Amino acid sequence: MAAWWSEVCDMFYLCFVREDRYKLLVSGIGVTIKVSLLAVVLGIIIGMLIALCNLSKNRFLRTLGGIYTDIIRGTPSVTQLMIIYFVIFASVHWPKWIIAAIAFGINSGAYVSEIIRAGILSIDKGQTEAGRSLGLNAYQTMTRIVIPQAVKNIFPALCNEFIVLIKETAIVGYVGLMDIQKAGDFIKSATFQAFMPLIGTAVIYYVLIKILTLVLKRVENRLRRSDIR
Amino acid sequence: MIKVKNLQKKFGDLEVLKGIDEHIRQGEVVVVIGPSGSGKSTFLRCLNLLETATGGEIYVDDEQINAPKVNVNRIRQKMGMVFQQFNLFPHLTIMENITLAPTLLKKMNKEEAVEKGRQLLARVNLSEKADAYPAQLSGGQKQRVAIARALAMDPEIMLFDEPTSALDPEMVGEVLDVMKDLAKSGMTMVIVTHEMGFAREVASRVLFMDQGIVMESGTPEEVFGNPRNERTRNFLSKVL
Repeated sequence: MAAWWSEVCDMFYLCFVREDRYKLLVSGIGVTIKVSLLAVVLGIIIGMLIALCNLSKNRFLRTLGGIYTDIIRGTPSVTQLMIIYFVIFASVHWPKWIIAAIAFGINSGAYVSEIIRAGILSIDKGQTEAGRSLGLNAYQTMTRIVIPQAVKNIFPALCNEFIVLIKETAIVGYVGLMDIQKAGDFIKSATFQAFMPLIGTAVIYYVLIKILTLVLKRVENRLRRSDIR
Repeated sequence: MIKVKNLQKKFGDLEVLKGIDEHIRQGEVVVVIGPSGSGKSTFLRCLNLLETATGGEIYVDDEQINAPKVNVNRIRQKMGMVFQQFNLFPHLTIMENITLAPTLLKKMNKEEAVEKGRQLLARVNLSEKADAYPAQLSGGQKQRVAIARALAMDPEIMLFDEPTSALDPEMVGEVLDVMKDLAKSGMTMVIVTHEMGFAREVASRVLFMDQGIVMESGTPEEVFGNPRNERTRNFLSKVL
């Protein structure tokens, strides 16, 4: 037993402790969280706008929303990230992580818009009619009656989208950002060890997402208060 | 109070209303009966513009309401609507259901609306349910709340679209009782229903609709006791 255990300890020391390599991962966690958080916020804002376009009576807006969703869903996110970084923002000297977050926000917005659209359509037409029959206008009916109910319905799908988004950010290495994945990869190259850095990377992602899932679960339970019978 | 002239409604090629002329006066309780698909509900929904009439004119207090530039929301505030499926807002408590529209539309401040809500809930015998959510109520209770919610806007007219059709039989009575009280208080009401006993008892006028037109109109005694139209006789023989 002692033999392989000490080997594991050596590997652990080599990969994470020597030359303060754990610091790479710690700063990588920071990058992943920064990019993900901003991307989620942008994703929700863009998603709502696109969903409203898609649900609008205006044909131009519907076409616009359709084209957006179509292009984003039809191309890989790595390609989108690189186009936004190296082409669209090529001459803009913002911090890398902000540009990356914009790319992920634009990507996520397309998926979020479909989730929101489905959520709004899932609310019975009678709810809108009841609101309108009381004299509320379309906007008041939407914000006070339809959206609060839709939020509850789409919450699980939205959480899922955020989790996917966090993992998706593992490609930011392509534009030179040192996130968790890139840090693990860097350690792998430096130590010629594959097992420890990659498993370490996986564990860090897993724990991050586990914590997020637990938090979101609590939020969802609060949203479901009015379902008590 | 409501005047309808040659009202028509088409869904694509389907002609649901083929020209309805009707005059509903202040304080009248008009009960609309007729077979399924006769256009009763569509007629009612045209009155508060949930459906857009494809032809004809509707006047409320001598103002044409299906004209292009009319403020639909202002018109609807004068008309309360009660639906077959209740359509309470499930994410709000009973009190919030009632106070939402009056406070949002600045008809009352919060305290006044809650006070009004308490009075209305007492009127429909549901005072103890103010803080419950709709999911905790029975069908009959939900429909009584829906009536209270519509009344909170102080409407001049109440429209009922088959208010008891989605209820278990034992709950029909409690809803009809509330509607009877409302009729006694002088409210102008238009009611689409299959409850013939209720129609006979409460209606000041009964309309029999079939195939998109009003076939017969008269007092309950006339329509139920001595129907002149063949179709009316036929229909009544099946439902009575």
